[in-house]
Amino acid sequence: MRILSNKRRNAATAVTAAAVLALSTACSSSSGSTAAPAATGSASGTITWFANQFGPTSTDVRKTLIAAFEKAYPNIKVNLEQAPSDSDTYRSTLITQISGGSSSFDVYNGDVVWPAQFGKQGLALPLNSYFDSSYWNTFSNGLVTSLTYKGSTYAVPLFTDNAFLFYRKDLLAKAHLPVPTTWEQLQSEAETLQKDNLVKYGFAAQFDSYEGLTCDFTEFAADAGGSTVSSDGTKATIDSPADTKALTYMRGLITSGVSPSAITTFQEQQSESLFTAGQVAFLRNWTYAYADSNGSTSKVAGDVGVVNLPSFAGQSSPGYSVTGGWNLYVNPHSKYLAADVDFLKWMTGTEAQTIIAEQGGEIPTVASVLQNSAVQATNPAFPVAAKNKLNARPSFVAQYSQVSEAIYNNVNAALSGSTSPSAALSAASSQIDTALQSNGL
Amino acid sequence: MTVVDTRGPRETRAADGASRRPRRGAMRRSAARLGWGFASPALLLVFAVMIFPIGFSIAMSFSNVNVTGSGFQLNGFTGNNYSILFHSARYIHDLEFTAIYTVVTVTVEMILGTLIALVLERLTHARAWLMALLLLPWALITVVSAQLWSYIYNGVYGVFDAIMNAVGVHNLNVLGTPTQAAVAMGVADVWKTTPFVAIMVLAGLVMLPGEVVEAARIDGANGWQTFWKVRLPLLRPALAVAVMFRILQAFGLFDLPYVLTGGGPGTSTESLALLGYKVLFNDVLFGPGAAIAASTAFIVLVVCLLFLKVFRTQVGEQED
Repeated sequence: MRILSNKRRNAATAVTAAAVLALSTACSSSSGSTAAPAATGSASGTITWFANQFGPTSTDVRKTLIAAFEKAYPNIKVNLEQAPSDSDTYRSTLITQISGGSSSFDVYNGDVVWPAQFGKQGLALPLNSYFDSSYWNTFSNGLVTSLTYKGSTYAVPLFTDNAFLFYRKDLLAKAHLPVPTTWEQLQSEAETLQKDNLVKYGFAAQFDSYEGLTCDFTEFAADAGGSTVSSDGTKATIDSPADTKALTYMRGLITSGVSPSAITTFQEQQSESLFTAGQVAFLRNWTYAYADSNGSTSKVAGDVGVVNLPSFAGQSSPGYSVTGGWNLYVNPHSKYLAADVDFLKWMTGTEAQTIIAEQGGEIPTVASVLQNSAVQATNPAFPVAAKNKLNARPSFVAQYSQVSEAIYNNVNAALSGSTSPSAALSAASSQIDTALQSNGL
Repeated sequence: MTVVDTRGPRETRAADGASRRPRRGAMRRSAARLGWGFASPALLLVFAVMIFPIGFSIAMSFSNVNVTGSGFQLNGFTGNNYSILFHSARYIHDLEFTAIYTVVTVTVEMILGTLIALVLERLTHARAWLMALLLLPWALITVVSAQLWSYIYNGVYGVFDAIMNAVGVHNLNVLGTPTQAAVAMGVADVWKTTPFVAIMVLAGLVMLPGEVVEAARIDGANGWQTFWKVRLPLLRPALAVAVMFRILQAFGLFDLPYVLTGGGPGTSTESLALLGYKVLFNDVLFGPGAAIAASTAFIVLVVCLLFLKVFRTQVGEQED
C-alpha cells in the first residue's frame, strides 16, 4: 500500500512541473481580432442557432420561426441546436465553448442579464456597426439600454418577459373581495380566504436561493422605494430601511402562514404547480403562467385572472415588474457574419415578433407589435404588460452574477429564518461591495 | 493517487539481485525499455487527460486569468487568488461544512456498512440476491437519486412531509432549514454509499483466514471478543481502502447539493466543489475558481496521506 515509489514520485513531479511551465507560456499567446462588418441582404450559407426552447411545450416555435425565415431568405439555411434549459448550465456551456474558440454555433440565445458579463469577457460580438439607429428605435423603451455595456451593444432583444399577479377569480367572488392593489391588502385578503377554508395557502412566489429570488426581491424592494445597487454601479444600496421593509414583509408572508414554509425552496415550477393544483389564491409569476394555469392540466382553468403586481400602501400603483426575457447574441468566432445579421434583423422584425407573440405566448420586443390590437387580443397578459412599471435588475455591472448571488443567498437565509432581515441585508451589502470592487468572492 | 507500487516481494528481490548479476540486469533494462515503449501510448493518454488539466488548473490558480473570446490568458505569477479565498467567509464556511459533512457521513457509512457486511457474511442462500438489491442505490446515478430524494423531501407534496404530518409534526421545511437540509443530504448520501462500504468490507471478511478465528474460539474467546480483538484488526486493510475512497468522494461532494438544495438555504449546504463551480462558471472568476479546485485537491491529498501514515504505523505496531 505504498502510495508512490520514490522514483515514480520524482518522475511525476517533473512531468507536472513541465506541464505547468508549458502551459503558462502556451496559453498567453492568443489575441482576438474581429472581422470587418459585412453588408447584409445578399448573404448565403448555413448558420447554426444555439437556443433553448421557449413558448409552449406543445409546438416548437423555434422551428416555425426558422421555416418562415428560410422562406424569406432562401439562400440562408438555419440549423437548430438544442441548448440546455437551465440558465446557469447553459451559461457555463457557452463560456467554455466560446472561450475555447468554438465556431460550432453562430447565433445563440442568452438571458437578458448577460450582456455586461459577456461583453466584458469578449464572449459576444459588439453589434453597433451592423445596425443603424432607426433599427434600435423599434424596440420598447429601456430594452436597448439593457443590452449595452460601456457604449457597445452586445445583443438584440428576442422576446421580453414580465412578472404578473395571477389570482383566483372564483375565490375572490365567493368571498366578495376586490383584486388587491397593495401588498398589505393581498396579505389580509389571503388570510381571509384561508380562514374561510376556501384555499390552503394565500400567496406563492419564487423564494428559493437562485436568480428568481433576485427578481422577486428586486420588485418588493422597488415597491418599498429601495434598490440594490447604486445607479452608477459603484456601491450597494441594499442595506436601507426600504429594503428592510420589503424583506420583513416577505418573511411575514411565511410566519403568518399565508405562504407555505417550503416557499423558500420554490422556483417557478413549484410555485406554479401549487397554483394550478388549486392550493393557493395568488401567484407571482411570468407571462407563460397565464397559458399554463388555463391549460388542460390545470385544475383552475377558467378561474384565473391576471393583473399588474401590487405595490406597498402609500406608493404609486401598480407595483414594479422586473424585465426578464432572452436576447440573440452572435458568437465572435462565427464565420458567417452577414447571414447572422440577416437572421438577427428578421427575428426582431414584425413577422417574427408576431409569431413569437401569437404562437409563442411571449411578449414581443418590438413596440409596434406589442401595441397591435390583434396581437393584444391573443393573450390577456399582453394589455396588462403594456401597463407594467418595469424595473431592471442591476445587470449593467459586469459582476452581476456575484451581486445576484449576494442578494439571493442572504435574502433566502432571512426568509428561512436563519438570520434576521437587517443582518441579511447588511451581509448582502458588504458582499455586493466586495464584488463591485472585484477583490473577493 | 492512482499510481500504486504494485511490485510484489519476489520482484523486489529480483531487482535487488539484479545489481549483483550485471548480465541479467542488462536484459532487465532492455525489457524495461520495451515495457516503457508499450506503456507510452497509455502514459500519453494519462498525461493528456489527467496531468495536463491538473497542471493547467494549478497554473491558473497562481496567475491573473483573463477570459476572452479567444481563449484564456494567464498573466504573471500571483498568490492573490489564494489570499482572496482565505479572506472569504464563504470559502471558510464551505470548507468547514465539507469537512464536517465528510467526517460525519463517512463515519456513519463505515459503521453501517460494516454491520451490513457482517450480516451478509452469515447468510448463505440469499446473499447474492441481497447484494444485488443493496447495490441498486450505489448503481443509480447520483443526479437521478438526488432528484428522487428531492421529491421525498419536497415541502408541499413530499412523502416525508406527509409522514411527519401524520405523526403530528407540521410545517416542516426540510430543505429550507440549514441543519435539516444538511442532515437530509447526509441521509441521501448514506443511503447511496453504504452499500459500497458493505461490499468492500464483505470482500475483506471473506478473505480472512478461518484458522485464526477458529484458534481464538478454541482459546475461549466469545463472539464479541473474536470480532473486536481478532477479526476487526485483520479487516483493517479493507476498511482503510473503503475509508480512503469515501473521503476522496465525500470531499468532492457536488451533485447532491447541486440537485437537492443548490447550496441553500443561503449558502449553508454549499460544498467546496459547488462553490468552485459557481465561481468558475457563473461568476467567470477563473483564478479564484482554480484556486478553490486546487486547494480542495491539496487538502484531500494531505488528509489521505496522513490517514495512510497513521494507519500504517498502527499496523506496524501490531506486527512488532
